[in-house]
Amino acid sequence: MSPPSWVDAVLAAGAVPASSLPDASLGRTDIEEFTGADPVEDGQLQVHPLGEAQALTPRAVGFLDGIEHWRVVGYAGVTPIVQAHIAAAIRRRGPPPDRRPRTVAEEAEELAITRLDLLPDAVRRVLEERRVRVVEIPREDAGQPARALPAARVEVQKARAALERGVGERGLAALGAEEWLVVDGVISDSPALSAHPRVIGVVKSHGAQYFEGAELERALTLAAGHRTSVFRPTPRGARREIHSWYLRLWPWEGNDLLYGLVRVEARAHRDTIALASAVSAWLLRERAPLAAPDRRWDRLLYAIHDVETYLSARAPRDVVSYPASRLPRTGS
Amino acid sequence: MIERRDPAPPPTPIGRVVATEQKPATPHQFHFWTANETSIGIGAIVRVEETGEEPGKGEGGRVVWGVVTDGFAYSDLATPLHDVVGAEGDPARADESPTVRQEIRLWTAAVLRQQPEEPLQPVPLGRVHVATDADVAQALRMDAYLGGAEPRGIPVGLYTSGGLEAPVYLDADFLLGPEAAHLNISGVSGLATKTSAVEFLLGSIFEHFPPHKGRIGAVCFNVKGPDLCFLDHAGSLDEEDRRRYERLGLEAKPFAKVRYYAPFKSDGVNLNTLRTHRELVGAVEPLVWGLREVLDYAEVLLNRDDIDAKADAFIDFLSDRVVDKSFDDGFGGTHRVATFADLERLFRAIFDGLELAGGRGDTWRTHHIATIRKVRNRLSNISTRAKGLVADDGPSSDLPWGRFEDRTVYVVDVANVDPLGQDLVFARVVSKLREHLERRDLGVDAVVVFVDELNKYAPADGPETYVKKMLLDISERGRYLGLVLFGAEQFRSQVHRRVVGNAGTMMFGRMDSDELATPGYQVLSPATKIKLATLPIGELMVRHPHFTQPIFVRFPRPAVLRGRDGVERFPPAADLPFEEAVVRQLVKLDARVRPNLVKDLMADRREDDVRRALALTRQARPQDVFAHFKKLLGARVAAAPVPVRASVPPLNPISDEPY
Repeated sequence: MSPPSWVDAVLAAGAVPASSLPDASLGRTDIEEFTGADPVEDGQLQVHPLGEAQALTPRAVGFLDGIEHWRVVGYAGVTPIVQAHIAAAIRRRGPPPDRRPRTVAEEAEELAITRLDLLPDAVRRVLEERRVRVVEIPREDAGQPARALPAARVEVQKARAALERGVGERGLAALGAEEWLVVDGVISDSPALSAHPRVIGVVKSHGAQYFEGAELERALTLAAGHRTSVFRPTPRGARREIHSWYLRLWPWEGNDLLYGLVRVEARAHRDTIALASAVSAWLLRERAPLAAPDRRWDRLLYAIHDVETYLSARAPRDVVSYPASRLPRTGS
Repeated sequence: MIERRDPAPPPTPIGRVVATEQKPATPHQFHFWTANETSIGIGAIVRVEETGEEPGKGEGGRVVWGVVTDGFAYSDLATPLHDVVGAEGDPARADESPTVRQEIRLWTAAVLRQQPEEPLQPVPLGRVHVATDADVAQALRMDAYLGGAEPRGIPVGLYTSGGLEAPVYLDADFLLGPEAAHLNISGVSGLATKTSAVEFLLGSIFEHFPPHKGRIGAVCFNVKGPDLCFLDHAGSLDEEDRRRYERLGLEAKPFAKVRYYAPFKSDGVNLNTLRTHRELVGAVEPLVWGLREVLDYAEVLLNRDDIDAKADAFIDFLSDRVVDKSFDDGFGGTHRVATFADLERLFRAIFDGLELAGGRGDTWRTHHIATIRKVRNRLSNISTRAKGLVADDGPSSDLPWGRFEDRTVYVVDVANVDPLGQDLVFARVVSKLREHLERRDLGVDAVVVFVDELNKYAPADGPETYVKKMLLDISERGRYLGLVLFGAEQFRSQVHRRVVGNAGTMMFGRMDSDELATPGYQVLSPATKIKLATLPIGELMVRHPHFTQPIFVRFPRPAVLRGRDGVERFPPAADLPFEEAVVRQLVKLDARVRPNLVKDLMADRREDDVRRALALTRQARPQDVFAHFKKLLGARVAAAPVPVRASVPPLNPISDEPY
């Protein structure tokens, strides 16, 4: 019989059990503000058709993604105690003719997210004694449940991003000479990833706004099978300098402006400009197979979806949210 | 009796049991997944291990064996439309996607056995292994009869799957009685499976029949072509066949003792069989029956409309009061009826006598003349239609009742006999077997009777014939006597359900799809049916009382010469002229017989007289065959002519006589 989990111990120490499940994880989102960008390929943002472009054909490709699952497992007074599971993995495909991804790197961690100094002594001691990493939410957010849970979510996302970054950076060492690494999301938060010549980030969310006016219109009304000029987003905070461009995977007409639109990040180097069309043509090939039934299939590469599926399948069952009702428990 | 090998090192798991609300594991069925590249297939036996130490206490340790009955493959594709979109409507591009979709190989297995057996619980969600030899023995409950002081296993074939090959045994108590008995084998014709399987299994039975169960023999009715005509000659086997024999612990050799019986052709001297090659015909004994043999089974000759108390009573009267006795016909004549010819003379005397008798001319000894004519018609009909089997005159030649030998096959070749004659042969041989087994004086303790084309003798519908009733009787009671029916047919659904239902062991070769759609196969999964519809030669599905699910096995080719090969190697001889045929039979009895003397002796003699003398000589088997034959031929030159009363016209002709 397996020993009781830290959750059981916390509840035994006096925390009131809870089973609050947050909304489904939204994934790593981009910064939601205007940041600006500098042109590096053309003087102004232009549209480049990819019809004639020769697609890059990497011998092997690693795909990096991560997941996060969390739930409120108890309350001490009004202070939530959150159980979180974060995981990241690289699944490698190739070399040809092998088209089946296989896991080459994987890390997972369980977290307890709360505010220790607001917990009763008994509950706090349990958390301190158990081998679970405790991440504390800011004190000013902890006293208000309406702010505590969003704060917990932020901590989970930060932890997940850090884990992904770590897996990716460690994975670079094993990257072969002709092997590429595709990261789900930005790479500008990692010095190693953002500087590597064969790492690209594929960003599905478009909170950050790099253009205005006619250039913005050109970027967001890009036709399928086209890319924009390569540009350099204005660096902010700890973000490293990278090159980036927009790529339309599927026709957006009949849907919305962001349908099928991804932003590609690569190292800030002139070779990136030379490779932008080849990389874009390669990513267009990665549209098949579709990542459906995932709702983001228009922007989600199947190989990234495969990493998510793999990680979710291996996540502990007690933190995976099921679409089940939360009826009061019966006595049995 | 079987080679117990040390268990191999624990194999690597090849799958894992999964259970969902939609597809739960139950005590009788479970589902498991494997890698896409797997050796598992329909019919494979697997072992499920629950982790833990204390079986039966919810703490693990339970072991479950199952047989794969269905398989599924699917990917994470939610709708076919997604594949179309991904390939942009071009099927050729569907293979160009850089990543292949996640796929699953999901299998459904039916539980063969659980250990511990109580409490019976759902299959644990454990690791799945390919079965080993020991697993196969356990899964099929063969451990109950393979070991101990008196093992009873009869090798039936090799279970092969996943690179493993394990012998499968049947329980002699359940194949040959007394616990259960009988075997039924179905399969489409022309794939050399049904007959081959029975030949192989008979060889296996003869080699592995448990000594404590006594002596065993087999009677095989050859009802088509040369199928069973060369069981005593070795056929060609390849290395794979020999390896399989070795794996099964069997010797690859033809039957050591085979006795052939065949009726004559209508000429009464040439044997009606395809085994007439000069080198082989000497081993064929004639099968000739006379009046007594036929009269005992006269019911076989009567169709449904004929069966009435009057006909029965008259046949009984003939049998009890007339045949082989000195009998006064009431018209001044005395008869001793021993042959069809004698009987015909009696009938003529009765009819003539009644015609002359005036007013009471429609009844003789309380039997109406119409009944007498009906019986006469049927009896004379068989002597005409089965001429060569049924002798008008002379002694009979029969199977060696009471002198059956251990591990001997008795082949009765009736392939070219009229269907009515086949029915008669079948009914009489089986009835005699039953009589002798009941008296325990057959010479063996158990007899396997192999009947092909069972749908002809025991059809699912149609009239209740004597043969069908007899087969039902064997099916339901034969196991207590040691009378075991091995029946074969193309379509099991066309055989009487009580006959097939009483078969403890059933085998299925390649099946017709229409047949598989009949209700009798509803218990099989669609995948199992597909496998049955495409079974290769040499593979069978076996059901046996100890096996809770059907099992597929491969068996080697029988080590005997196949009928078609035999006919090529030993082409049937052309019919001999009457004199030559008689000479050959006498020479067979006594090599000193000089053909020219026999031919001189036969000159100017009637063929009927010669046939009669030959039959009596054959029956007597004297020291000096020629002298005996000469004496018999000289003693009776001609049969007594039937008195003709042409001068006295009939006074009371029967105008409404229907025959």
